[in-house]
Amino acid sequence: MPNGTGVPRQSIASHLKRCGFQRRDFLQLCTTLMVTAPVGLALTDKANALEVAEAVGKTRRPSVIWLHFQDCTGCSETLLRTSKPDVADLILNVISLDYHETLMAASGTQAEAALHHAMKENAGKYVLVCEGSIPTKNNGAYLTLGGKPGLQLLEEVGANAAAVIAMGSCASWGGVPSADPNPTGAVGVDSIIKDKPVINLPGCPPNPYALLAVVLEFAVMGKLPAVDAHKRPTFAYDRFIHDHCPRRGHFDAGRFAKDFGDEGHRQGWCLYKLGCKGPVTHAACSTRHFNEIPDVWPIGVGAPCVGCTEKGVGFSIPIFQTVDIHAATPPEAFPLVHAPTGTVSTAAAALVGAIVGGVGTAAVMASKRLPGKEPAVTPSETNSEVTGKSAKSGGE
Amino acid sequence: MTGNWQRAVPVYNQPIRTRALYVLGALTGVAVLLALYRVFAGLGPASGMNDAYSWGIWKTFNVMVLTGLGSGGFAVGIGAWVFYRQRLHSVMRAALLISFLAYFCGLILLTIDVGRPWNLYWMLFPWNWNTHSPLLEVMVCMSVYAMFPLAVENVPPILERLYDDRPSLRPLIERAMGIIAKGYPYVIGLAYALPMMHQSSLGALMLLAGERVHTLWQTPWLPLLYVWAAAFMGYACVAGTLLFCSLMWKRARDMQVLTEMSYITAGLIASWWLFRVGDLMYRNRLRAAFAVNPYSFVFWLEMVLLAGSVVFLVVSSRKQNTQLMFHGHLLAAIGGALYRFNPTTFAFQAKPGAFYFPSAIEILISLGFVALGIAGFMAAVKLLPILPAPLSEWRGMEAHGKARSGLVAQGYAAAQD
Amino acid sequence: MNRRDALRKLAGGGAVALATGFVSTTALTAPAEAEPVRASKEAVGMLYDATRCVGCQSCVAACAEANNLKPDTRLTGLHQASLDLNHLTKNIIKLYKPTGASTWSYVKQQCMHCVDPACVAGCSFHALTKDPQTGIVAWDASKCSGCRYCQIVCPYSVPRFEWEGFNPKIVKCEMCRHRLAEGKEPACTSVCPTHAVIFGKREELLAEAKKRIAENPGKYFEDRVYGDKEGGGTQVLYLSAVPFENIALPELGGESVAQSSLKWQRKIYQYLAVPAVLYVSMVGVMRHNWKHHQEHLREEEEKTGLRPQL
Repeated sequence: MPNGTGVPRQSIASHLKRCGFQRRDFLQLCTTLMVTAPVGLALTDKANALEVAEAVGKTRRPSVIWLHFQDCTGCSETLLRTSKPDVADLILNVISLDYHETLMAASGTQAEAALHHAMKENAGKYVLVCEGSIPTKNNGAYLTLGGKPGLQLLEEVGANAAAVIAMGSCASWGGVPSADPNPTGAVGVDSIIKDKPVINLPGCPPNPYALLAVVLEFAVMGKLPAVDAHKRPTFAYDRFIHDHCPRRGHFDAGRFAKDFGDEGHRQGWCLYKLGCKGPVTHAACSTRHFNEIPDVWPIGVGAPCVGCTEKGVGFSIPIFQTVDIHAATPPEAFPLVHAPTGTVSTAAAALVGAIVGGVGTAAVMASKRLPGKEPAVTPSETNSEVTGKSAKSGGE
Repeated sequence: MTGNWQRAVPVYNQPIRTRALYVLGALTGVAVLLALYRVFAGLGPASGMNDAYSWGIWKTFNVMVLTGLGSGGFAVGIGAWVFYRQRLHSVMRAALLISFLAYFCGLILLTIDVGRPWNLYWMLFPWNWNTHSPLLEVMVCMSVYAMFPLAVENVPPILERLYDDRPSLRPLIERAMGIIAKGYPYVIGLAYALPMMHQSSLGALMLLAGERVHTLWQTPWLPLLYVWAAAFMGYACVAGTLLFCSLMWKRARDMQVLTEMSYITAGLIASWWLFRVGDLMYRNRLRAAFAVNPYSFVFWLEMVLLAGSVVFLVVSSRKQNTQLMFHGHLLAAIGGALYRFNPTTFAFQAKPGAFYFPSAIEILISLGFVALGIAGFMAAVKLLPILPAPLSEWRGMEAHGKARSGLVAQGYAAAQD
Repeated sequence: MNRRDALRKLAGGGAVALATGFVSTTALTAPAEAEPVRASKEAVGMLYDATRCVGCQSCVAACAEANNLKPDTRLTGLHQASLDLNHLTKNIIKLYKPTGASTWSYVKQQCMHCVDPACVAGCSFHALTKDPQTGIVAWDASKCSGCRYCQIVCPYSVPRFEWEGFNPKIVKCEMCRHRLAEGKEPACTSVCPTHAVIFGKREELLAEAKKRIAENPGKYFEDRVYGDKEGGGTQVLYLSAVPFENIALPELGGESVAQSSLKWQRKIYQYLAVPAVLYVSMVGVMRHNWKHHQEHLREEEEKTGLRPQL
């Protein structure tokens, strides 16, 4: 529990040590971070987990303020699905979660006070994490928190934040509440906050380690990771599910599950025909999975991807409707229109050479032995020469 | 006849079992074994053929080229019998033997080459023939030709030899000769009509391939050009072989006959050459010959070889120079062979990236059966009266025979009476 | 010359004249343009739209399964996928993608089931036949001699030969006629997830293709469907955004090779007229020459005392 008593914060490592967090488990956390973000994150761009642990351990716990808007709290739930560290260690000793309406013990005016205190203490330094979309219709009347419209709260808290992280699809681009006809005018955080760096971590929910990686990157390295055009960190969102899917081999071989529970489905074949949005969805689920158990992710358990991270796909295209795959780059190793055939064996080439050479030599030699000029026609034999041996013939 | 070549005489003064024969026999043996391998392993392991070039050298060389070279039987025959060029009669037997051996070996290789030879029996049921197919025409016509008219034409030397050797068979032989003589014009009419049909059908084969054959070779006149080429190849092969044999076995040459043959060959080539170029010009394809690529190079190679052969043949005939004449016939044979070989191989563009080169086994099988033909020729001309020679040669043989064995002498002496 | 000889000569001359007249009439009046072959009303086919194909290759897998083809495990391909049509692959998806280019296209390759197939025209024993109703080109093992002429003449290089073993087959798509007999579609069209390849009557597919072209001007290459007239027409039609030549569909004229070669064949072989006349005239000349030759041989025999050689 965060305290408002002004005790100076210590480094993450000493904090964890004080709370009895095993070093081995800390190293495992750092390894997990490296696996979560092998590229695109300066924090993990190190030779091994030890180096990452050293960098992280030296850092002071970053202050994080977590605001909920039009959410289902799923993105907080996902945060709880970590075991090393477990949620307590995570929110107390790795980061300092100074305000979180679901997890904090306080409520009412005490909670308000905690929020103001955290904002004042860490002004300009705290990371604001937003969960849920922000309704904008009727001046944001569809969401009031502590009597204030959510829209206003966001603007106030965001004003002093060092960085804003939009956790989940709702905060990133509107998510479920923004589904047609979007009666509340739900939008993502970056439609409201324009003057601060905003990182979107879409997903419903996203993988918790993505959040942890971004927060620690900011805390340890002092900057935010590289992002794409939609402000999503490239270490997690730079590829389609389709391009990293374990079932891609089945897609490429034309093995599709055509119905839930059919033979193909049981065999774990590609779910494209059941409406999988993998080919048009940017996310890292196909390699990161969930709940720290391998293959626990939608496609892994036989449910087609619904494209929850992707605006215009998730909660927009019907779940079981197949998508076009125009953007997928053909694999390099694909049968080409003109396949080469045939080779020359050395033996064959040698034989041909020998034959041509042999015939040629014979012809040349023969022609040389022919008389250049043939003598005039020899008179034909007359009857008088019939008797007796002829001088010309002979048994040579 | 005032020339040297007055009578067909066996090459009696040469041993039949020579080293060359053994080598050729060994090559044939190798080919037979490899052919067995082809039967069990399939065409793929035994050759370099693939789906892009499904016809290798067996069909394109042993059948198309060698039967072309073996067209002396009909080409020289038409000269001798239809146009009644007396002189050509003396070389007819050699021409017929060459033809028979070329067709025999060609048909063997055709049987080796087809993938499912047990279904060839369908040839015997005309109601199942696809009369639109040039290949059917080739298969049926070549088989009929080789088995009937060509075989019959080659029978007389055998009968003659038997007549001399086996007095007891004489009445039978005389009856047989009588039958042959009676039907001869009708039989050799077939012997000229049939080859003209299938040699032109060999050309028609590639008509169906359409644009897959390069434009410098593909023409609606392909059948005509093929049979025309067969004609001059036949002449060249016969004349060249006779020159070569005269050298090997020290036989007299008959320049009158050779000169006539050379002129005929040159005339056939020259007219063929002009027709081909004319046809290319008429269809506006000649400019392809001037593009810089391997196709134009090979085209010009063919044309230059054949033009060169015409020059050599005419000059050598004028100057009675056998060396030049031999070169001329050789160039004609090679040029014609190249022309007939190319549309199914080099000029055949299956698809980009496709490549074919015969495998060693394929070459050895092809070679082995050519060796069989050559060995057969060598043995036949020594046993049978085939190669033309002056009468004095015949007398020499009689003397030689008398010296060797009384029985034979008896036979020869009897003929004289 | 007595009456018999005169009659004989007259008869001979008359026969020759008759024959020549017969030949000239048939050869010269034989239709220079023989009727081009047209697709039957019931002809079935496929329409392949390359712009809809995503290269998933489920058609390849479905074809192999429906036709009982073993997987191609030779080390000449990718995993169990062949690089080309072969005796284990009747249908394949290939990629046209020049290096560094941003445009690319998949192409499905299988038998085109031409309206006037060259392979059917060339096959000596009718091993390849075209069904008069459906127009499907099928192969009959009991008639095929393995001469591979079909491989030489097919403009699309479709028939493939089984190069190994002593019972080789010619293998090519036969539009799953065994499935059609059961009222099902061909395997490839039944599994395509994006409906890039569809099955139907050729007439209807042509109409559909033209409709797509009309509704999307400029999307398809030269706003035309391949197979309408090319090479006499095919029953498998193609729509493509890239030039047809790039996806191995050659630009053929409107006349099939079978038709153009038949024109010439007819001139010579109709009723076997020309060969017959050739034969008759040659025999006529040779009989005359034969008599002379016999006289010549007799002279030789008298001169040399040796038996004449024919």
